[in-house]
Amino acid sequence: MSPLRSIWLVARRELLERGRSRAFLAGLILTEVFIVGGLLLQAALASQQSGLKIGYIGSPPPVFEQTIDAIAERNGVKVELFAYPDRPTAELGIKAGEVDGVYEPPPDESSPGVLIFKEGPDSRIREAVNQAVLAIRLANSGVDLRPPEVVALEPASAEDPTALIIANVGVIFLFISIFSFGFWVLSGVVEEKQSRVVEVVLSTVRPRDLLMGKVLGIGVLGIGQLLVLVVSGLIGARLLGSFEPPPTTVPALVMLVVWFVLGYALYSTMFGVLGALASRMEEASNVTMPIQFLAMGSYFLALVVVVNDPSGLVARIASLFPPAAPMIVPMRTALGGIEFWEILLSIALTILFIYGLFNVGARVYSGAVLQVAGRMKLRDAWRSSR
Amino acid sequence: MLEISHLTKRYGNVVALDDATFAARPGRLVGFLGPNGSGKTTTMRCVFGLVRPDAGETRWNGKPIDRSARLSFGYMPEQRGLYPRMRVAEQLAYFAQHHGMSARDAKAAGTRWLDRLGLGDRANSKLEELSHGNQQRVQLAVALAHDPELLVLDEPFSGLDPIGIRTMTEVLRERAAAGVGVLFSSHQLDLVESICEDVVIIARGSIVAQGAIDDLKRSSGRRHLEVEVEGGDGSWLDGVGDAVVLERTNGLVRLLVGDEIDLPRIFDRAARAGRIRRFTFEPPALSELFMEAVEPDPGHEKVTGARR
Repeated sequence: MSPLRSIWLVARRELLERGRSRAFLAGLILTEVFIVGGLLLQAALASQQSGLKIGYIGSPPPVFEQTIDAIAERNGVKVELFAYPDRPTAELGIKAGEVDGVYEPPPDESSPGVLIFKEGPDSRIREAVNQAVLAIRLANSGVDLRPPEVVALEPASAEDPTALIIANVGVIFLFISIFSFGFWVLSGVVEEKQSRVVEVVLSTVRPRDLLMGKVLGIGVLGIGQLLVLVVSGLIGARLLGSFEPPPTTVPALVMLVVWFVLGYALYSTMFGVLGALASRMEEASNVTMPIQFLAMGSYFLALVVVVNDPSGLVARIASLFPPAAPMIVPMRTALGGIEFWEILLSIALTILFIYGLFNVGARVYSGAVLQVAGRMKLRDAWRSSR
Repeated sequence: MLEISHLTKRYGNVVALDDATFAARPGRLVGFLGPNGSGKTTTMRCVFGLVRPDAGETRWNGKPIDRSARLSFGYMPEQRGLYPRMRVAEQLAYFAQHHGMSARDAKAAGTRWLDRLGLGDRANSKLEELSHGNQQRVQLAVALAHDPELLVLDEPFSGLDPIGIRTMTEVLRERAAAGVGVLFSSHQLDLVESICEDVVIIARGSIVAQGAIDDLKRSSGRRHLEVEVEGGDGSWLDGVGDAVVLERTNGLVRLLVGDEIDLPRIFDRAARAGRIRRFTFEPPALSELFMEAVEPDPGHEKVTGARR
């Protein structure tokens, strides 16, 4: 029987048994609830913010409209312009709540015109209209209002708040996914030892094939869950129209999936190998403490340091350290602060690292997995391996 | 034929196997006997590649045992264990597939063995929902479902109730009759004596006796002499010669003697002491052969010539 068939059988069992388990289904539903809830919340907040409605008596000149639009975009606020034929209709409009304020331009340029509110002045509208009126006057006096051409000496780091949100949420999400599915590999390995079934399994399956099948089967489950969530998130966002995905969205999502696969492969292998040293679940969390520190460290590095300086020295170095890369690189990608070759190099290094880790790990796993009594030392497992 | 050839295995300073060599013929029930810690489990693990010996090898039908040979073996480890939350039928099919069966054959074989072992109605139960005895039956089914050529069972009878013992015995006999090699370890020596043709006895990692039980008994050089004399005071014993007194109560005497003993003379002496109610002369039981083999110096009272 070929190793591939052994791996396939093990992977399929993990997939079927765990895919049907309450833990998986509950986790899936819970995260779905979070995603949908988050989207609804965002939509609700957005609808509260939207809606500076400004009236204009007469038809607003193009310069007025352009200036208002520019200010609105700069502040991330949606502004609608309404044109009223005369002051009485405009006042009715204000009272009915159609608009928040109305600007009545002067008949000539001797006066600045009037800004009408229902109650006190809305400072945002006042600012915007002030500037727009200024712009009209400057334009009328023949001043060129075109903004200067922009030349950047260095590529700008993303200022787009949506990119920042995607980056943060993405990294948190990656961390949770990698950790929870990696933990499943750990508990699977320990349970097999604890229930003693591993001796029956290993009478036909090579230890490394068992480890490989386990990592693959649970990994497919993880990717499945990730895709369901990403797709439902995107569909939900589009339906609710809650945000306009920034141009970095698609590469960021591709990165999310790629780095989930790499991060999961790396961490679950470590979990599986060190888990084999424990013989009971209670020992497992002690044995895997170093992994937890490593993952936590990388996570906080991403959320605290890299997010503020995505192309700085720390970020660049951490990207080349495989255990940290799955958290650091997607963050930098989402913020647009990484070169393409850096991504490729980081992926290559991580794959290489996983390959080495698996070969070293499989040997430790072989040596440890049959030792059912007590906690084993890493070195003894390595030595006693076949 | 399963051949264990000069297996040696050390764990640190502990010698688990010391040049162990024996063979188990297919078609016969072979009991693998030895005190706790004598190397039975280690030997079995070597057969399945779970332990790599420091020296020696295991062979099946003349060839060193490799992964593909093991696919046709069935194993029941001492530490029982299956997946607690997996359904019984799926569990059986899973392990049978690991032995190279197609999904369909594996499923059919699983169903067949569950029916055979009286668990047909529990096919869709999770293993952990079954009683201890039924879990043990499932474990046996896992070892059998892929129709193995060699069965290696570590203490298959331990923890079974009398009905379980009968079922296990029937199944093992039937498999042996079908030409399968059956090697199993046990501490229940009377049971082994009643169902096995051959035994292998291991002590401190070395094989101390092996062969057909009948041959071992015949060649043991010791015999059991049991004599019951009505009203005798036992003084007739004085002329018996070298013997170990195993039991001596109310005129009943059980002795361990050499097979060259002068039976007619003893009979005469006993007959003169009183009326003989019983006089048997038999080879020792397997349990005695076992004790003798693993512990050459038994702590029994020994009579040499005239002693009471």
